[in-house]
Amino acid sequence: MSTILIDGRTIAFKPGDNILRAALEADVEIPHFCYHAALDSLGACRLCAVEIKPKNSNEAPRLTMACLEPAKEGLEVSVSAAAAQQVRRHVIELLMINHPHDCPICDEGGECHLQEMTVTCGPPYRRYRGRKRTFTNQDLGPLIHHEMNRCITCYRCTRFYQDYALGNDLGAMRLRNEVYFGRFQDGPLESPFAGNLVEICPTGVFTDALFRQRFARAWDLNTAPSICPHCSVGCNTLPGARDGTLRRVRSRTHPELNRWFICDRGRYGHQYSEHCARLLSPRVSGENTSYHKALNAATTRIKATQNCIGGIGSAREDLEGNTMLQALLNEVGGVFTAFNDPALEAATIAAVSWLQNSAGAPSLIEMEQIDAALIIGDLTAHAPMIDLALRQAYRKGAELTLFHSSPTPLAQFTTSAITVPPREMYAKLSHLCTLINALLAGRDISDDPMAVIAKSLIKARQPLLIGTIETLTATDASVLAKLAITLGPNARLTYALSGPNAYGSALLAPEGNAMQILESVETGKIKTLIVAGNDPFSDPRFGLRWRAACRNLNTLIVLDCILTATAEAADILFPVAAWTERGGTFVNYEGRAQSFLPVFHRPEYLPSAADVIADLAKYLECSRQDVLSVLQDTFPDFQVPAPGTLGSPIPVSLPPISDSPSAGSPLLSSNNSTWQTALMSWYGDETLASFAPGLTSLAPATIAMIEQATATATGIVDGSKIRLRGSADSVVLPVQLNQNIAAGTVGIGRNVLVRLGLGHGDPIELEKVL
Amino acid sequence: METLLTRHLDATTPLNLAAYQAIGGYCSLSAAFDLKPEKIIETVEAADLRGRGGAGFSCGLKWRLRGADAPSPRYLICNLDESEPGTFKDRYLLYGGPHQIIEAVIVSAYALQAERAFIFVRGEYAKGGHSLNQAIQEAETAGLLGSSICGSGFNLQIEVHLSGGRYICGEETAQINAIEGKRPNPRPKIPRPSTHGLWGQPTTTNNVETLVNIPHILLNGADWFRSLGVNGGCGPKLFCVSGKVRHSGLFELPCGTPAGELIFEHAGGLDEGRTLLGFLPGGASTAFLLPEHLDLPMDFDPVAKAGSRLGTGSLIVLDNSTCPVEFTLNLMRFFARESCGFCTPCRDGLPYLAQILTAIASGEGHADDLALLDELCATVASQSFCAFAPGAVMPLISSIQCFHTHYEQHVTNGHCPFDTTTQGERQP
Ligand SMILES: Cc1cc2nc3c(=O)[nH]c(=O)nc-3n(C[C@H](O)[C@H](O)[C@H](O)COP(=O)(O)O)c2cc1C
Ligand code: SF4
Ligand code: SF4
Ligand code: SF4
Ligand code: FES
Repeated sequence: MSTILIDGRTIAFKPGDNILRAALEADVEIPHFCYHAALDSLGACRLCAVEIKPKNSNEAPRLTMACLEPAKEGLEVSVSAAAAQQVRRHVIELLMINHPHDCPICDEGGECHLQEMTVTCGPPYRRYRGRKRTFTNQDLGPLIHHEMNRCITCYRCTRFYQDYALGNDLGAMRLRNEVYFGRFQDGPLESPFAGNLVEICPTGVFTDALFRQRFARAWDLNTAPSICPHCSVGCNTLPGARDGTLRRVRSRTHPELNRWFICDRGRYGHQYSEHCARLLSPRVSGENTSYHKALNAATTRIKATQNCIGGIGSAREDLEGNTMLQALLNEVGGVFTAFNDPALEAATIAAVSWLQNSAGAPSLIEMEQIDAALIIGDLTAHAPMIDLALRQAYRKGAELTLFHSSPTPLAQFTTSAITVPPREMYAKLSHLCTLINALLAGRDISDDPMAVIAKSLIKARQPLLIGTIETLTATDASVLAKLAITLGPNARLTYALSGPNAYGSALLAPEGNAMQILESVETGKIKTLIVAGNDPFSDPRFGLRWRAACRNLNTLIVLDCILTATAEAADILFPVAAWTERGGTFVNYEGRAQSFLPVFHRPEYLPSAADVIADLAKYLECSRQDVLSVLQDTFPDFQVPAPGTLGSPIPVSLPPISDSPSAGSPLLSSNNSTWQTALMSWYGDETLASFAPGLTSLAPATIAMIEQATATATGIVDGSKIRLRGSADSVVLPVQLNQNIAAGTVGIGRNVLVRLGLGHGDPIELEKVL
Repeated sequence: METLLTRHLDATTPLNLAAYQAIGGYCSLSAAFDLKPEKIIETVEAADLRGRGGAGFSCGLKWRLRGADAPSPRYLICNLDESEPGTFKDRYLLYGGPHQIIEAVIVSAYALQAERAFIFVRGEYAKGGHSLNQAIQEAETAGLLGSSICGSGFNLQIEVHLSGGRYICGEETAQINAIEGKRPNPRPKIPRPSTHGLWGQPTTTNNVETLVNIPHILLNGADWFRSLGVNGGCGPKLFCVSGKVRHSGLFELPCGTPAGELIFEHAGGLDEGRTLLGFLPGGASTAFLLPEHLDLPMDFDPVAKAGSRLGTGSLIVLDNSTCPVEFTLNLMRFFARESCGFCTPCRDGLPYLAQILTAIASGEGHADDLALLDELCATVASQSFCAFAPGAVMPLISSIQCFHTHYEQHVTNGHCPFDTTTQGERQP
């Protein structure tokens, strides 16, 4: 490897590196502001001045910007040279001319890059005698606070927001020493990645508005490596807590996953753990009681209903909790599933099985390198950081194709976006598969409208096929996998799964258990149901059935950290620790197991779900009571990774999917209704995050979205009202016409689906309201 | 000397296509199309035509260095942004005769084999831009623009881009950003715009005055062109003279004409009883020259040797009734205002310099302010991102050197020595 010398230290560099990048990667500090590894060099701040030793001793040394100077073999660089120090002193002095010097009351204080640089290389005194320039700040919404006077004009924010995240409502305006970074007018920032401004800005211009409300100095925060619990990507985070409350969440670098960033759901969803609906005391029959008494009550009930027990784990419960519940049920003669929705169970198990029996899912940084993708569904809402990774691929020229039922932000970056009603997704994908086979066999398909898509995927060096499992059936998931197989070994396949541990949970029980448990509860065969971190009552499609069925139960035992509809109905309720208050392991969409540590503890005793179940196992005198040994039994070759590491792969345990996956998909049943539903989601739409008021205040309005042409044919106009009738209820909603929704489809939000008792793709009745 | 570039200019009724053709306009097209592009570039290089936009880089060399094998599409930009204080030559060319510019762009684009050309017009010259557009339409209708011009097989489209109106938009790479619809920040100089310019494609930028020489060089040859200059200069030069002279204005004279001749013969000299304090030779962003430089030929190398720049060839003249500190402050306020805001030394350094200068000019300067100005100027000039800032501090640095006593008087006396309210007489 080639090397350069920085103040006598030998530093290796990669081809194409500049001096600054090479130095920072080798942990050698060269002061800088505008350079950021994700955003590359700009050359604007001029802080990274270094001196280059001339080749011939009769030449003078040369001052240059380290971020713009290519690293060349043998180059001798000095950061400490007097001339370089002088430039840095001047740059800081100039940046400080207008700076408010408000460190003692600035939220950035203590973790401010400008503060650090000023102390390290700035002049000790101010010489400027003039007036300071002042700006008016903007209201950028509930999540980000704006304080423009602190700006040092490094352009990091716009380069991240516009160039990297492809947002368009924040920019640089005006010129000279009045460059203003903000929106065209006041209003919440629209990007799902806006929160990263807080970290990318080297000063206190953009700060976390929620953290500001319950502020603590950075050095007073308890932190520990954590994993985001809000989707299946498994971004690495560094939450901060103080005085027994969680204050904020920041990103923590994972070189193959989220690197420097997280999405706003991950950053602001944490408010669920401070919500007033947070459970803090065990309850038996509605009365607060002690942990010990609750355990006793549960033990008695379980013993009394031996062999008539069911258990529902969860995609948002960690590997430990799910595995413990499954092991406990094995001993007391019960059935386990991790899903309350049989269709989701089938789809997830199918997806994970395809992944386990193929090359496996690409990491986020691998996704950035693909040159073509077929995207099924709304990735922004189901796996926001995968969306951001695909935006990087798009920036490098990847051709993105999208099949979607309802609007999704990624649509604007696609080469072709086709709206497909949920029930026709399978046919569409099968057709594409046929086209690709025909093309590969040398047949001419050019008169087919989807020929361009087929060609784009075939000619790609590395095509990616990706679907959001929550809006797909098992058969959809399988046909996507077959597409990948058809495209050959370079094609990559992956799915956005339904929760942080959906992958891990899917490994624990066979498909069909969810339906078996539901039916057994309905028939009274199951008398005790243990639910860990799940909310079957709020399932859009099956919620109504679960509610009705659970009336037959003797005992409903719920373990959760928030008060869901199911938790409210529990006979015995165990409050458990939130994700920042306990350790555990999540298996992300790639099958990468990542462990996390508790960041802090509350004054109340809040065990993890795994701890509660382990205690139950003790009370029940089960043979296996210890979490680690249960994990070892279930996954014999698996090493639980140390928190803060890159994680380790969960071993392959699912058999390959048989060629004809069970067709029990409810989407295939139909009645005479011409309309079907489509889930309209957004980046804040997730169970835990729905308890985070800051984030949910940005939720889109509750409306029914219909495609223009279908609406015109039925005489529905924009802004008029329609009544929607489902199996549970009917609602009246204002109509919004939109091109980006499939024909014959009514797009509605999750909460409306729950109310109507309908799932994504279910038939729905619709009538105009005059 | 018979004028070449300005002889048919008429700002009230510029020549239309027919009239322009009647006096020999567009003749150079057939001459050009008979030649291989490389041959034209060779001739231009031999003519030693130096860029009139400020830097004085050899036009032929620039064209040759871009390479004949540069990938297509290739672009030509005719720079008519002209925002340098004291400079108004391009305005004469624009308002006086748009067809001369179009002819020049066509043959230059042919030499560079560029299929699309942009004429970037200063925002305040909107009316001129409008007549330029009309002239382009006339030329298109006559088949002088568009596909296979005059049956040559050479295609060219010309577009007029009216600037949003900032000084920095005249800088080559900022201009490229502006045409692309981006913020007009300058771009890094590597990769060069000649290979990675507009939309990443090979792009050549020339000042409009540079280009209008090309048809003449084509028709009359390199030697003839060189012979038009004096004292070692080549070709004609448009000089703007303004400030404390009796007849300020535009003068087309041989490149290399001595400064004294320009000021005292062509511009009518100074008012009665006044003496020359100094002058800027090439627009606001050049260094002061003094009465001792009156014999200096106004050509790129001699002026550079004297420590300044010929720049745009725009002389701004100061006589002994002008306070050089106040004059320099005026320039610094302009430059501080026009900084694009991209890099720290320029964006925050120029207002700082202007602030110190304001204090000195109003008699509130501190004893160590002059040293502070020197210290800051050194960093601003050497550490900024583009050529704007070094140009901006050039008059300040030289002003402090040339008029040091004036500066010291301001600081020690606590007021401006020219101030009549405190001094009675406006005399130094
Ligand atoms: C701050 C700045 C402003 C400039 N403004 C102009 C301008 O208004 N017109 C112009 O022709 N060149 C201007 N230039 C020079 C151009 O960058 C470029 O060098 C020139 O147009 C090249 O043409 P030439 O080689 O024919 O002179 C400017 C340069 C700088 C650094
Ligand atoms: S707001 Fe922050 S990130 Fe943006 S330019 Fe200013 S200091 Fe840099
Ligand atoms: S993408 Fe998913 S895991 Fe990553 S921060 Fe967002 S919600 Fe959390
Ligand atoms: S020197 Fe001035 S004009 Fe040039 S890039 Fe820097 S701020 Fe902009
Ligand atoms: S980091 Fe190099 S100029 Fe800003």
